[in-house]
Amino acid sequence: MSYEAYLNDRNVILTVAPTGGVHGKDKNQNLPEQPEEIAEQVAACEELGASICHLHARDEHGENDAGRIQEVNDAVRERCDDIVIQNTTGGQSTYDARVQGIRTDPAPDMASLDMGPFNRGQHIITEHTRNNIDQLAAEMRKKGIKPELECFNNGHINEVYRLIERDALEEPYYFNLVFGHGTFTPPTPENVLNLVSNLPESSEFNLLAVGRHQLPLTTLSMILGGHVRVGMEDNLYYRKSEPVQSNAQLVDRTARIADLLEADLATPAETRERLGIE
Amino acid sequence: MTCPYLDYRRSDEDHEFDHDRPYCTVAEEFVSPMKADICNDRHEFDHTSDCETYPDEQASEEKESGSEAIRADASE
Repeated sequence: MSYEAYLNDRNVILTVAPTGGVHGKDKNQNLPEQPEEIAEQVAACEELGASICHLHARDEHGENDAGRIQEVNDAVRERCDDIVIQNTTGGQSTYDARVQGIRTDPAPDMASLDMGPFNRGQHIITEHTRNNIDQLAAEMRKKGIKPELECFNNGHINEVYRLIERDALEEPYYFNLVFGHGTFTPPTPENVLNLVSNLPESSEFNLLAVGRHQLPLTTLSMILGGHVRVGMEDNLYYRKSEPVQSNAQLVDRTARIADLLEADLATPAETRERLGIE
Repeated sequence: MTCPYLDYRRSDEDHEFDHDRPYCTVAEEFVSPMKADICNDRHEFDHTSDCETYPDEQASEEKESGSEAIRADASE
């Protein structure tokens, strides 16, 4: 988790977030929504070096439907070799819906754990109370699911420290630092450096940034010894005015950048070992 | 309750899909999955107060009629 770590021949964990819960095909027709579509694109990304897939589920109309996450997991397992499955427990829905991400059979390797609320649009607040966070963390630990600690702004890092003080997390702590608009952390290199400097010992960090910030800030993350998440959940354009053709297009670019930086991409097995996933 | 301006369509001038998708007849565009939750009053959303495109005048009328209904219930 440092520039020195980057220099010392380390592996970068590349996560693909193919779908998300924000956009629909009307914004980019290449966005995968149905289980088979998602699995097909994830398999292509695994071939290019992605070792984790962050998954959401949709219904036949393209609307969010946590009840279909099992179908998505099954399709991905059918299509992929060994990719680490990370289900969402986020979004604007109720706790009962969100918790379905960690109640699949088999359980996912990982699940996102939003460390607090944030705003969407004019009226939507994603409700992530401390009580809900504690319950999700406890259930994940009981089932051996590695939490991906999603920090949408600086204050959410405080909340991780709160969980660590309660001995609710196991090392290494895997952060996902989120940069973007609204109540996300403002997307600047200076803020990336600031957040990384505030992380506890025994941490690994991943970085996601929305839209045009995805390319420069994920590249910065690799230089700082961090990991990267790319995909159409966070970014629907390959470059200005050019819609993304597939998730693989974004993963391929990131893989090429890692190669230029003389960093290796972690395999799924290496990712499990590094994050302590059994 | 579902928003009266929500429609499910397979196409508009710019898009054609395999399945019906949520379409706002006020904004005249397909809506995002997040917005569709508001259109359908899911997760304790209320389209009259939480939607950015719902006509203000109609929202006021519906809230007023709702208040009158509540007052009528209370007086019974």
